[in-house]
Amino acid sequence: MFQGFPEIKEALMANRMQAGFMVAPMAIALRAQGVPLKIVYLGHRYGSAVVVQKEGPVRSFADLRGKTVAIPSRYSDERLILFRAMARHGIDPREIRLVEMAPPDVAGALAAGAIDAFSMGEPYPSQAEMSGFGRVLFHAREYWPDYISCVLVVRQDVIDTRPEAVQVLVDGIARSGLWLDNPPKKRARREHAADFVGRDYFRQDPKLLRWALTNPLDRVLYQPLTPYRDDFELIVALMIETGILERFIPFSDYVDPRFAEGAKQQTEWKYEPGWEMAE
Amino acid sequence: MIVLNRIAIGISAWLALITTAHVALNVDWKVVRNERLPLDQRKLNVAYIPVT
Repeated sequence: MFQGFPEIKEALMANRMQAGFMVAPMAIALRAQGVPLKIVYLGHRYGSAVVVQKEGPVRSFADLRGKTVAIPSRYSDERLILFRAMARHGIDPREIRLVEMAPPDVAGALAAGAIDAFSMGEPYPSQAEMSGFGRVLFHAREYWPDYISCVLVVRQDVIDTRPEAVQVLVDGIARSGLWLDNPPKKRARREHAADFVGRDYFRQDPKLLRWALTNPLDRVLYQPLTPYRDDFELIVALMIETGILERFIPFSDYVDPRFAEGAKQQTEWKYEPGWEMAE
Repeated sequence: MIVLNRIAIGISAWLALITTAHVALNVDWKVVRNERLPLDQRKLNVAYIPVT
């Protein structure tokens, strides 16, 4: 487990990690710089929000003029969503100060008044809400339908030499997504997932993840996780527009769609809360 | 001489204890075993941060 996306980038480049989840614009920027990796799948859809102090002066997006907003990285969809909102409200980007901050630090910074708002993935918006000092100003879906944030990237040498291992990884994520988003069992399964993911993987209070995964149930979605061309070309266009990418980069340069195609026939894990193993 | 021997034995015992504790608590043996496997049999290391 890492605490920030730049560290994941370094670990992938050093081959300490062979795959990783990172924000989509960072993966595209790395490919544009010639780093040999590809996006093979998505981590989730939606699940990012802009959060302000609950009792603070910011009541609408326009109130963010002159304020400081934390983002996880310059190369993040959480930054791009702010630019989309600024464009819609006619706000000049120079009117809002953006600062990069490691995701685990933002809720504390908001509570302490070090920042006026943050644009971040879950469970940090939930953390601020649950703790009582934060209020969601807007969820990403309000400005960006089919919003994506984290993507799964794999080193090119691993794709070339061990495609079957990459397919196993992608199949597993696809099956987990189907399991989590199964309509009649969605709430119970998400609550169960919050427990074991919070305890065994994220080392966070399961109540926090339960909030993020169920309040409401579509706060984060795990389908569809196929990387679609239109979604990524929008991200590339926004990256160019906001000055973090110099020129257009073709979809095939940074996405390898084979594994998502291969995962399309997958079915959800055979697993229910209380079982020892998933099949 | 006896004092020196006792000090040496004490230091050795302490080192052995600390080394054993370190190896038991701080070394992830799953990772060590994985890295000793042939490339085509290794599990992939997947990096993530605690966000959804």
